[in-house]
Amino acid sequence: MTISLSLHTQPDVPLEAELISPDKLAGLTTAEIEKQTVEHGNQKTTIADFFTVAGEKSDSLVLEGDLSKIKHIGSGMSFGKININGDVGAHLGTAMSGGEIVVEGNVGDWLAPEMLAGRVEVKGNAGHMVGSAYRGSPAGILGGEIIIHGNARNEVGHAMRNGMIVIGGDSGDFTGVNMLAGTIIVLGELGIRTGAGLRRGSVVCMKNSKLLPTFSYSCVYQPTYLRLYLLYLQSLGLGIREEQIMGHYERWCGDIIEFNRGEILLYHE
Amino acid sequence: MSENIKIVKNATCTFCGCVCDDMELTVDLDKKQIIKAKNACVLGRAWFAEHTIQEGPVALIDGKESKLEDAIEEAAQTLTKAKFPITYGLSDTTCEAQRQAVAITDFIRGTIDTTTSVCHGPSGLAFQGVGESTMTLGEVKNRADFVMYWGGNPAESHPRHFTRYSVTPKGMFTPNGKKDRTVVLVDVRRTASTPVADIFLQVKPGKDFELAWAMRALVKGHTVDASIEEETGISLEVLTDLVERMKNCNYGVLFMGMGLTMTRGRHFNSGAIMALATDLNEFTHFVAKPVRGHGNVTGADNVVSWQTGYPFGVNFSKGYPRFNPGEFTTVDTLSRGDADAALIIASDPAANFPQAAINHLHKIPVVSFDTKETATSQLAHVAFRTSTYGINTGGTAYRMDDVPITLRPAFESPFPSDEEILTALKKRVHELVIAKSRSQGAGTAKVAAPIR
Repeated sequence: MTISLSLHTQPDVPLEAELISPDKLAGLTTAEIEKQTVEHGNQKTTIADFFTVAGEKSDSLVLEGDLSKIKHIGSGMSFGKININGDVGAHLGTAMSGGEIVVEGNVGDWLAPEMLAGRVEVKGNAGHMVGSAYRGSPAGILGGEIIIHGNARNEVGHAMRNGMIVIGGDSGDFTGVNMLAGTIIVLGELGIRTGAGLRRGSVVCMKNSKLLPTFSYSCVYQPTYLRLYLLYLQSLGLGIREEQIMGHYERWCGDIIEFNRGEILLYHE
Repeated sequence: MSENIKIVKNATCTFCGCVCDDMELTVDLDKKQIIKAKNACVLGRAWFAEHTIQEGPVALIDGKESKLEDAIEEAAQTLTKAKFPITYGLSDTTCEAQRQAVAITDFIRGTIDTTTSVCHGPSGLAFQGVGESTMTLGEVKNRADFVMYWGGNPAESHPRHFTRYSVTPKGMFTPNGKKDRTVVLVDVRRTASTPVADIFLQVKPGKDFELAWAMRALVKGHTVDASIEEETGISLEVLTDLVERMKNCNYGVLFMGMGLTMTRGRHFNSGAIMALATDLNEFTHFVAKPVRGHGNVTGADNVVSWQTGYPFGVNFSKGYPRFNPGEFTTVDTLSRGDADAALIIASDPAANFPQAAINHLHKIPVVSFDTKETATSQLAHVAFRTSTYGINTGGTAYRMDDVPITLRPAFESPFPSDEEILTALKKRVHELVIAKSRSQGAGTAKVAAPIR
């Protein structure tokens, strides 16, 4: 049994729907869900004004429609599952601490910022600030995994402290900027200025990339741990080639301005 | 020249962020015109000369002349009906008017953003991320013996910046003026400012961050590869020499221009400069400061920060302020088609925003405040004509170093000030908001437009 919400009316200004999360809806009946408040700009409205609700009392939500103007879905969720069949707006899964979100379409900016644990998988592309810190915050995601099959834009994993972010396509500029720890794997091209201010942690890329002058070349080696990561990603259907799993990687260490304890691994053809 | 001449001493020029307060204006009160502006730079002279009184209606509704009261009523109705209204502009008006605009935005639960978001907003973001070692321009004049401009052309954008504050003035610890200072300019091309510099670094376009990052590494005592020359256009030798000069000066200052904030990397570019200043404080005193453009854009940051806690891109739709540049900044909000009404004060976004944002402005009701007819006032649903701050209206403006300066108006205008209309608008908006909340009880709202 699932709770299904399908969009019948497109909001004309952004709709903020923190409430669409298993934590808030799992114990409710259909009628109760319909009456829950969502914020349409500065006005309070109900879920029924925008969604047709079916099903009740379930920790599994299925959302249908173009939700690109709907923000904050799954904020702070700690269990259950949200399936989104379509595009979705900004701040999906903010600070989530458990559960899983699967998006069939594209997502807006700020995907799962400051997430603690749990899992987000996006079949399409993502916007800026994937798994990042909010402005003024010292740390981004503390754990969990974010898998994006398509491309992501700037500041992937800004100040991330732990966890894993995987970009199946290309990533934008400043991937892993000010990163404290954790792992970012990019299968496509990196943008410019990867790992600026990197303290610890790993950024892995399957394509060559021009790095900042504050990164220094260490060696070419075969990192053992990477095989486990790549085999797992292969099982998720991401395009990992056999030679990459057993392959050699250039190790660049930096950022020398910070601790110089971070690494960027570039696949060595 | 008529007999009715007034001299205004110590008047303030509000054209650029220098906010020079040593103007001596000669005003022809019959013609309502400033005929001479002593001490003003070329931009200041134009500013004072061009602001004459142009006849026209004080308010227009859909292009038709209307009474001020009716226009205020119409504006208040428009703004209180909106679900996601945005207030934008504010950099060319007084702090007193800015304060009213924040209050209006709070009442209508809208979003407030200033021209900072398309100018030094990234520096504001960087400041929150890395901190800021700061100063006033008086300190620069009296103490600075190393002055660096990065990504700007003050000779043309802020003509008196060199002579009044940072290069030639003689100060307490800089008795010989320019001879006591090392002036460095970093830019992608030679400009009118270049001859002033003792050292000119022509960085390759879009490589500012790499250059600043390499300088940070050198300051921290790390080695940088000689390939930096190929990357940035500046040789390692020049950089090493520059960094030594910086470490050995007594008081260094880094001025940031919009060449940093509005190119690829944005807030990280200005963040790198601020971090460089922080690193240099291990060795000597170093400060960093953005060179702000509009007359009172610094005041807009100060007023919005003081009232909401954040400098720009602040949203009130939940009833409390939230800050998120990129989400609540005007260009983004308009380009995505989020906003459903706009209150635009002393700014002309319809002339200088990206096309997608301008297109959206044409679709939504706009309330505009301007001293002249502009592209924005032409598309506005309600357009107010107001007097010019600093010329017709008194008040407060902030200089680029966050020093508040009092304005001394030269002559009276037949038009009311931004503050007067905004205060009346705030009063009416407040009445409407209270009436609306009483009639709605717990608050139910209209259902949105059906899906297209």
